[in-house]
Amino acid sequence: MEADELLVLVAGGDQKAFEELYGLVSGPVYGLVRRVLRDPAQSEEVAQEVLLELWRSAARFDPRRGSALSWVLTLAHRRAVDRVRSARAAGEREQREALRANHPAFDQVAEEVEAGLEREWVRICLDRLTALQRQSVTLAYYDGYTYREVAERLSLPLGTVKTRMRDGLTQLRKCLGGAA
Amino acid sequence: MSIADRLLGRGDLHSLAAPYALDALEPAERHRFEKHLKSCDSCAAEVRALSEDAVRLAWSAAAPPPSAMRDRVLAAVRTTPQEAPGRETARARAPQLPPHVWGTQPPPRSRASRPRLLLVPFATATAAAALVVASLFAVQANRTQEQLDAQRAQASEIANVLAAPDARATAGEDAEGRTIGVVASASKGRAIVTLRGYGGLPSGRVHQLWLMRPDVQPRSLGLFDGDTPLIASGLDKSAASLAVTVEPDGGSPQPTSQPVVQLALKSVGFGE
Repeated sequence: MEADELLVLVAGGDQKAFEELYGLVSGPVYGLVRRVLRDPAQSEEVAQEVLLELWRSAARFDPRRGSALSWVLTLAHRRAVDRVRSARAAGEREQREALRANHPAFDQVAEEVEAGLEREWVRICLDRLTALQRQSVTLAYYDGYTYREVAERLSLPLGTVKTRMRDGLTQLRKCLGGAA
Repeated sequence: MSIADRLLGRGDLHSLAAPYALDALEPAERHRFEKHLKSCDSCAAEVRALSEDAVRLAWSAAAPPPSAMRDRVLAAVRTTPQEAPGRETARARAPQLPPHVWGTQPPPRSRASRPRLLLVPFATATAAAALVVASLFAVQANRTQEQLDAQRAQASEIANVLAAPDARATAGEDAEGRTIGVVASASKGRAIVTLRGYGGLPSGRVHQLWLMRPDVQPRSLGLFDGDTPLIASGLDKSAASLAVTVEPDGGSPQPTSQPVVQLALKSVGFGE
């Protein structure tokens, strides 16, 4: 069954449907959170929160506004980004960088997983963006920086960063169009 | 950008669609943009499209989660009530903390079958703590946005304690049947503490939570705000017990009265 149908059953309190939905979304949720947070223990915490929230607030899902998958991944991304920003605000950045150095790079971990076609396509398409488009998109999405922080890191005007982000996503869509 | 947009100063907001889709706005800006979205169909359409692009980025990061996570999530799901679809329904059914918060799981279906308050430790941490989390959300309906944000942050902190592999729960009852419940994680040095039945303090008095260790002055862990769970941090392995006293408003640097209830922490991994 598709995630959208399952989520409707979950909203009605169906635990079996939730188990099935867990099978579909836990990988993307955990992987995404891990990609943003890097730290495995924190990632597990945040991913758990997101999945429990999925159960709790399934009734809030409105299929007219997008797919179940984008709903849950949006939720997961926002939680991960909030967490990484509060860690940065608390001055845990050095600690995080150190953590990163001590752990295998995420991509190595991910390689152990069956590399999906989607992953490869996204990688190829990201490579086709200009450097500024790619950096603007990935610093924001995968590293949780706000567009102001991205502008600061890349020494670019705010307007340029906003444009690069939009162009980057649009280019990505064009490139991925053939991959669905 | 149209002339109308320029005149109304909307151009700047329009350009935030991509940063919004990437979650790259600061909270205040995000809020402002979301408000704008409600009245701007073209922005909403753009955001929808850009968000789907962002989801491709998300999907491509998929990785297998730890297998223990599945058991923990499914266990929590078995005891976590769901939100009702409509706001009105939520308001109607949530006038106060659900009666089963400190009871056994699963939540009782009828008054007749409701078990007595516990004298013994909870069956599992997840069962008890999931109910604490649920109760937090259940009382949200009538609160202001600020209170909601604070509660959300608190719920998330509680969920973090819950998620610790060593999270354990215990509860104690005093002579008058009032209970104190604790979910604690020794590795995180954190505990979630809830009182039940202690309400009705005279004005100007407040319940204060203390950390008790052998041969050391009690340390304040914070003040209770009614039924709301209190999150205590900075607990270490030597924490022997928790105690609650009645203090003047604002709390005291040291307890000025005998504890109304005290709870040993050995069963939840402390007290070494």
